[in-house]
Amino acid sequence: MIYLDNAATSWPKPLAVYEELGSFLQHAGANPGRAGHQMAARAAWTVSETRRKLARLLGVDDPRRIIFTANATDALNLAIKGSLSAGDHVVTTVMEHNSVRRPLRALERIGVMTTAVPANAEGIVQPDSIRSAMRRNTKLVVVTHASNVNGAIQPIAEIAEIAHARGAFLLVDGAQAIGSIPADMKALDADLLAFPGHKGLMGPPGTGGLALGGRIDTTMLHPIREGGTGGNSEEDVQPSEPPDRYEAGTVNTVGIAALGAAVDFILHNGVEAIEAHERALTTHLIEGLRAIDGVRVLAPEEPDQRVAVVSLIVDGWEPADFGAALDEAFGIACRTGLHCAPGACRALGAGGQGTIRMSPGFFTTVEEIDQAIEAVRDLANASLTVVREA
Amino acid sequence: MPEVSWRNRYRTPKPNSTIQREPVGTDGCQPMETQNRIMDRYARQIRFSEIGPEGQERLLTTRVTLIGAGALGTHIAGTLVRAGIGFLRIIDRDVPDLSNLQRQILFDEADVEAQIPKAIAAAQRLSAANSSVTIEPHVLDVNAANIERLVEDVDIVVDGTDNFEIRYLINDACVKLDKPWVYGGVIGSYGMTMTIIPGETACLRCVFPEPPPPGDAPTCDTAGVIGPAVAAVTAYQSAEIIKLALGATGLLNRALLSIDVWQLTFDRVPLGGPVPDCRCCNRHEFDYLERGGRTQTTELCGRDAVQVLIHPPARITLSSLAERLKAAGTVGYNQYLLRFHTEGYEFTVFPDGRAIIKGTTDPGEARSLYARYIGM
Repeated sequence: MIYLDNAATSWPKPLAVYEELGSFLQHAGANPGRAGHQMAARAAWTVSETRRKLARLLGVDDPRRIIFTANATDALNLAIKGSLSAGDHVVTTVMEHNSVRRPLRALERIGVMTTAVPANAEGIVQPDSIRSAMRRNTKLVVVTHASNVNGAIQPIAEIAEIAHARGAFLLVDGAQAIGSIPADMKALDADLLAFPGHKGLMGPPGTGGLALGGRIDTTMLHPIREGGTGGNSEEDVQPSEPPDRYEAGTVNTVGIAALGAAVDFILHNGVEAIEAHERALTTHLIEGLRAIDGVRVLAPEEPDQRVAVVSLIVDGWEPADFGAALDEAFGIACRTGLHCAPGACRALGAGGQGTIRMSPGFFTTVEEIDQAIEAVRDLANASLTVVREA
Repeated sequence: MPEVSWRNRYRTPKPNSTIQREPVGTDGCQPMETQNRIMDRYARQIRFSEIGPEGQERLLTTRVTLIGAGALGTHIAGTLVRAGIGFLRIIDRDVPDLSNLQRQILFDEADVEAQIPKAIAAAQRLSAANSSVTIEPHVLDVNAANIERLVEDVDIVVDGTDNFEIRYLINDACVKLDKPWVYGGVIGSYGMTMTIIPGETACLRCVFPEPPPPGDAPTCDTAGVIGPAVAAVTAYQSAEIIKLALGATGLLNRALLSIDVWQLTFDRVPLGGPVPDCRCCNRHEFDYLERGGRTQTTELCGRDAVQVLIHPPARITLSSLAERLKAAGTVGYNQYLLRFHTEGYEFTVFPDGRAIIKGTTDPGEARSLYARYIGM
């Protein structure tokens, strides 16, 4: 199989991730921070080690400001629902995933208003349109770092400046960026950064996190769930300090341990090397696809304005059929449809049936990209034999 | 639940023998006059010595679930309700269309026009024929999540479906809950039936351990079907249900019976008891109840479409499938896929059996369309 669905979840994972999943559960599978025995201490230590590595990767000074969540969606829900209240205004973009769009829509019920600003034909949002959408009561600006439909990278630092100038916080959806391109909280000047552990970070599903920037006061960001944290048991209110404030209940120790192994792998290889490899593959893929008659590639022109997520549309083919044929006849795994981002598909002119999305990863080879290009060519050129009743 | 369990009932040697049973109406609800009228209605079949008053009384307390109200189902339901079955639950997800009227005898043009669900239209028609029967129509898909609820409180289950996926599900549920059921299937001028009594006869999986592979065989929608074939097979199915209701087990069909009304052939392949190592009735591994069978459906975003995946993958020869489908719509294919348009739906079928069916977002409807045109 040629796996080109890394935007959904990366696969394969570094070998150390598989190993850590098994060995952690077997040797350190106790509940962290809930008891004083050695195995509980080892579990707690492993969780804090992953927290420390992530802080290093994301340029967060205090590892306690990395909050573990179930995935990026969970982190986005915490950031959005934990920070907004009635009367607040939010600026977001048409490029957002449903994990941003739906929580914001749900908050309309309690009186939170949202403005979604447009993107250009490449899927890139102009900072000026963010500026003109800002209102006096704008509390939060929510922007995806890179599109999950066509990989377009947004000008995060410029948007951050606009948000901060108007007293708003910036929440960045890092789902397609973290681990794949440099994403330093300070360089981006983001206040909240939601990320999955299982995509570019190459960890297991069920992991993710929310990084809190220096401007975020934990009295302002409310937990969306309360419960046991292992300490302050006599209190009937949630602790005020991160990470405990936001991590009620037993965390996914096994996943977090394996995520730690994945972050080691990334730190060892360097995000820049990963970025360079994926960028080369992406450029090769886009050029190969563009040379095929009847194939339209929806990608930003500039290589440094895109991550390894490529959408295409093939004349005479519905994306769903094309994806099934790639899988069935060529063993190529990709995703088709709206990718949970209908606004982004519209902005890119994709039509209601969405796109065929190919997303290479760090383990994808040039040969695999060549085979994928040839498969697209074969299918794009295939004609139907029509059978009529005799 | 009736007070007499199935096992007790069908092991009774003769319906009109010495077993003491209270006559209908002794619960005090029905005056003698009404009771006489009820018995008048069934006078001719009561005069048939194998049934008699005692047998009639048993019919009046027998509960049946009919799965599928198409060609087979409407014939069977008509016979059972007129014969005075006590309770009939009719389950069908579909609405009638004009091409059904040729063989589905409980519907008329007004039902097609008004798009009255088949289960409802059938219940209305049957109530007019015999208002003393309790008829319970359900407009729904039978699936692993609901089948046990639909069969657990009846005495007999009867197959009026057009697909093996559901038949294997019926077999699982009936073996698990110890209910006899009567299989039937028709295509062209030919049909077959068998009667399954869990633990006593072979079950469907004893005879056919696995269903035919998808896309392997013609279907009524591709190869056609004629009314007389339906009438012939359902005559046997209905008679089997009446015998089961009466406990006349000695005369049950213990064979795979096949009939061709055009070629005038009639075959009986005798079936023994349960196969010793049957996954279903011996090992009680209810694959279709517990794992949901061979198909997995996914709604596709961005399109009014459902993908049907087959596990394990099939091997469909697209050119042969195209030949079968050409009578039912427009078909084109290449080495990668087959595309077929009919009745406002578009099918894209792949060699491994998966199909993307456009024009629906309902997984049940997609499965049903798959069964009708590709076959499962």
